[in-house]
Amino acid sequence: MPTQRLFERIDSIELQQVSKKYGSRYAVESLDLTIEGGELLILIGPSGSGKTTTLRMINRMIGPDTGSIRINGQDVMQLDPVRLRRNMGYVIQNIGLFPHMTIGENVGLVPKLEGWDEKRTNARVRHLLDFVSLPPERFIKRYPRQLSGGQQQRVGLARALVMDPPLLLMDEPFGALDPILRTQLQEEFLEIKKEIGRTIVFITHDIEEAFRLGDRIAIMDNARLVQVGAPEDLIFDPVNELVADIVDTKRKFKHMDTLNVKDLMTPLDAKYILNGGVDACDAVEIMKDREIEIGIVFEKGMLAGKVEMVNLLKCEDDRPFLRDIAKPMKVFALRDSVATALSEMKRSGEYVAMVMDGDTVGGMLVSDEVLLKLI
Amino acid sequence: MIENFHEIMALWDKHLLTMRTIEHLEMFSIALTISVIIGVSVGVIIYIRPGIASPVLNFLNILETIPDLALLVILLPLLRLGTGPTIAASVIYSILPIARNTYTGLKGVDSKYIYVAEAIGLSPRDILLKVRIPMSLPLIAGGIRIALVFTMGVVTLGGLVAAGGLGTVLQNGIQLYEKDAILLAGLWTGILAVILDLGAGRIEKKLYKRYGTWQPQK
Ligand SMILES: Nc1ncnc2c1ncn2[C@@H]1O[C@H](COP(=O)(O)OP(=O)(O)OP(=O)(O)O)[C@@H](O)[C@H]1O
Ligand SMILES: [Mg+2]
Repeated sequence: MPTQRLFERIDSIELQQVSKKYGSRYAVESLDLTIEGGELLILIGPSGSGKTTTLRMINRMIGPDTGSIRINGQDVMQLDPVRLRRNMGYVIQNIGLFPHMTIGENVGLVPKLEGWDEKRTNARVRHLLDFVSLPPERFIKRYPRQLSGGQQQRVGLARALVMDPPLLLMDEPFGALDPILRTQLQEEFLEIKKEIGRTIVFITHDIEEAFRLGDRIAIMDNARLVQVGAPEDLIFDPVNELVADIVDTKRKFKHMDTLNVKDLMTPLDAKYILNGGVDACDAVEIMKDREIEIGIVFEKGMLAGKVEMVNLLKCEDDRPFLRDIAKPMKVFALRDSVATALSEMKRSGEYVAMVMDGDTVGGMLVSDEVLLKLI
Repeated sequence: MIENFHEIMALWDKHLLTMRTIEHLEMFSIALTISVIIGVSVGVIIYIRPGIASPVLNFLNILETIPDLALLVILLPLLRLGTGPTIAASVIYSILPIARNTYTGLKGVDSKYIYVAEAIGLSPRDILLKVRIPMSLPLIAGGIRIALVFTMGVVTLGGLVAAGGLGTVLQNGIQLYEKDAILLAGLWTGILAVILDLGAGRIEKKLYKRYGTWQPQK
């Protein structure tokens, strides 16, 4: 049954004095928050502080006890919930792809219910799978259980985008992924964000993710909104201890000068190691099995460089060997300064580098992990 | 060996076993089809109206405890001799396992899928048709498999009330005390039941592989 689109773009989402109680406890209390059209707003805060509840009130999965939520001036409680939700994309941590449907059916479910014909649905699904770097001809017929966690998360994003919603609600979408995979998907997501220019409300527990992705950050604690603002507002002008704790980057940068790469590197997990003689298509399968998005290529015991899953997916034309397509990566010595290493990585836009101890591998330096270790 | 085979074929033809088998399977399919339609509908209805679930299931449970022979005899005055009471009795027995499994399946779908379905804009009706029912198919198939065994039994018993089918051969054999006929018809009925159950088992397994995410509710 086709539903009419409620809004083509978001001018604003206004939450006014919104409260929701479970029993005698507030899950959200007197929340005043305005989300501007086109921005990516991060919701961050301790567990149980009311982030998910806030998000679910925006799409009417939960009705507020008091207060109002207006999208472009329209009170969401006055709108048909099904219509409202088909106008927003929703992505959650455990993805929730339907296991009895193929990837194509999962992504195309709502268009089908909207009465789109087969051809239009199929074209849209293919376009979106391409968009999230999953070649449709290989993935459209597969079942979710045949995909790695990162691939499933991509499908979840494609499904959320299928009706071309002007608003995306994301509840810790990358929370369950390992740090490298998470960083990779964040990078890709930034690209997507640039391209689509939608309004996005994004929940995370990870302050680095918040800084990396967010235009503004709203900090919640104990059912209340504590502070909202751009990252630098929060860093230089925190309203209380909690905010200072969550965003305090000064301290971590202060003692970074004294630290060596050796202190903050991660051991090289064998699962990231790929042989230079493997061809790109086989590498995709291996990486899928190991649930990795990036691989470190060695040729005859020597570091040859790195490969990323996104670049390998279109391997079928010439099936190149990894040794020929591995990209050079930064290499640091154990005693190099972390501060220098990080700024070099940041300049070239890399988030992972190798650490060598003479000719032997010392470990990996992952920029996000370094920052997290410093907090 | 060959002689034996000829004897068996003679016995088979004398008792019209081909025709009886066809009659038997016909009654069986009609009864099972009706049971599936009613059973699944009852399961869906009591899922939609949980208030009546418990009384309906209790009532079906009571029907289930009536011995099959008694049920056949009770139905005679209503439906007269023949296939009517046999099919009716099969259906009465088979509703419970199918309805109960349908109901349990629909209720037991992992709530995370329901949550997602709601969030991406499925209506309650879409959720039932696109998520709950498909995800319950393995369990529904399990219920149908139980019903299949019940139905096979009752249809065979139908020979007592002139319903035709393989039960009639057994009935005649007993009355005329033809040991060989009883043995042949009994064995054949048994083999048929085993084959059908095996087939149903395979279908159930396939459904589990395709849709099998059902988990008991925590
Ligand atoms: N359906 C519910 N029934 C009762 N209490 C609930 C319900 N949903 C949430 N709560 C409570 O409301 C509070 C806020 O929950 P919410 O899920 O919004 O937190 P959150 O900030 O998303 O936490 P997390 O970071 O752990 O996901 C919590 O104390 C939670 O226990
Ligand atoms: Mg939450």
